[in-house]
Amino acid sequence: MKFIRLKAVTRKEFYHLIRDYRSLYLAFAIPLLLIILFGYALSLDVDNVETVFVDYDKSELSRDFIRKLDASPYFRVSALLPASKDAVDFLDHDRAKLAIVIPPDFKKSIGADREIQLQIIIDGSDPSFGNIVRGYISAFVERYNQKMLIHFLNRQGQERIHPPVDGRVRIWFNEDMESRNFIIPGLIAVIIMIVGAILTSLIIVREYENGTMETIKSMPVQAGEFLLGKAIPYFFIGLTDLLIAVLLGQLLFGIVMKGNFGLLMVAASLYLSVALSLGILISNVTKSQMLANQMAILTTYLPSLLLSNFVFPIINMPKFLQMITLVVPARYFIDILSGIYLKNLGIAYLWPSMLVLLLMFIVLTFLNYKMLKKEGL
Amino acid sequence: MSHSNSDSISVTHLEKKFGKFVAVNKISFSVRKGEIFGFLGSNGSGKSTTIRMLCGIITPTSGGGMVAGHDIVTEAEEIKKSIGYMSQKFSLYEELTPFENLRFYLGVYDVPQSKWSERIDWVLNMARLQDARNRKTRDLPTGWRQRLALGCSLLHKPDILFLDEPTSGVDPVTRGHFWNFIKQLAHGGMTIFVTTHYMDEARLCERIVMINEGCIVASGTPEQIIAGACPDKPDADLNDAFIKLMKRNDY
Repeated sequence: MKFIRLKAVTRKEFYHLIRDYRSLYLAFAIPLLLIILFGYALSLDVDNVETVFVDYDKSELSRDFIRKLDASPYFRVSALLPASKDAVDFLDHDRAKLAIVIPPDFKKSIGADREIQLQIIIDGSDPSFGNIVRGYISAFVERYNQKMLIHFLNRQGQERIHPPVDGRVRIWFNEDMESRNFIIPGLIAVIIMIVGAILTSLIIVREYENGTMETIKSMPVQAGEFLLGKAIPYFFIGLTDLLIAVLLGQLLFGIVMKGNFGLLMVAASLYLSVALSLGILISNVTKSQMLANQMAILTTYLPSLLLSNFVFPIINMPKFLQMITLVVPARYFIDILSGIYLKNLGIAYLWPSMLVLLLMFIVLTFLNYKMLKKEGL
Repeated sequence: MSHSNSDSISVTHLEKKFGKFVAVNKISFSVRKGEIFGFLGSNGSGKSTTIRMLCGIITPTSGGGMVAGHDIVTEAEEIKKSIGYMSQKFSLYEELTPFENLRFYLGVYDVPQSKWSERIDWVLNMARLQDARNRKTRDLPTGWRQRLALGCSLLHKPDILFLDEPTSGVDPVTRGHFWNFIKQLAHGGMTIFVTTHYMDEARLCERIVMINEGCIVASGTPEQIIAGACPDKPDADLNDAFIKLMKRNDY
């Protein structure tokens, strides 16, 4: 390996990168866009659920129920409607996600200690959203019942009573259960994959398309120098994107990196190297830039998004999909990243995932080297 | 064929097979130092495969030879350092300026950095590209790019220059300049190995080998080849000889 040749290849590749607006767009605009879009728009959290009421009772008790629900951060009462069919109308036109009908004898029944049925309708077109709303509203009703009961018993002259079991729930690692806190680590994995694999998927096939590869083969540049020299500029772009993502996560969304920054850099470098060699492998086996690009999106970007625990939990996937996720590098990196980001875990816990990434890198680099050697480099 | 010290290239029974297909069928020839040597053949004749073996890009299936004093089977790396190669596509990086293209070649050929500015000036002057040194290569006319590509392949002062259809798409005036320059280089002791489809250019070669379906069908000076191929036609030219020699057995 000669430094002067390595430097020549790196410098040339760097010029390609900065003079091609498509590459720059992929390298910087896409990561920014993804962070802002995912961070703001794709919040998986549910709050302020649009709720409409039909109050046939119109008692102070029913009004109290509505007020209490509105006061909760999870619901927002947007309308009080005169009849059930109006509520259906609201649900149909997506103006409400939740409709509650209070029957006419609400107060009377409670006063007479009779069970009363409250009609609650949830828009279940998005099942995961519907499930969450169901959980919220059930918990709310449960709590309301409990309070009523205690209130009633106390008024009956009993001793002050307390519920026998009081479950004190404490959430760890992501205390506010903000999906954003998990989205940023996941996004970092996707962004590094885009920069690492999609950009580099072009770098060798481009030489073939332009006819420069034939000349490269006639030159005394070696396969190792060629590989490394081409990868270096993209390596730095990848690390820059990582820093941008960490910084934006903190500035825009207040997501503070809890773990060791050095460890984060080491893990990211390892993952980035896997992404780069994956992109170069695609570039080695394809014969047109167009095909390389499509293949890169299909084999790197989509799996990183869908099969990595980022958007969909692997544990809920069918067995064969779970098997496929074993070869998705992002899966391991997201594991490491959420460990560092949210749990402040050290190398003692993270080394198995890092080892998998290292093995992937070694295998891919070996394949790339062999293929270039075979081509006469 | 015997190898002598004045030979720049000499190959014996050189063969390349791709699976069952024989691309080059045990050919032998030699090229003298400082010679302008024409290597002619139609498309698919085995011409490119032969050049790629001589340049150390692919290894022969059998046979062997020496290029610039190095063995083509075992010393491909050394050969690559001693030759220059210019392809018909000119192989320039379009987004880079002529200066940046030259600097890339200097680095890859491991030319000592102390010589860089002198060599770059030499090529830019020779190629009359001083004023275009910082323009995008993409924006240069074909003739200028051809001169730049030639300059790139000469930067490390190679012993042998391989030119693969170096004048395709270039106008006759520029081709004339190009050949004058090639002659100068040969006078300076550089061996020129050139392929072309233009028979008026082939005439300028001192010696020619014609290859068809992987076999050598004629070799010698242009005059010898014409006389050999068309003995009963006194006014025949190289074009007639080429067409006659390239006739395939299956026609």
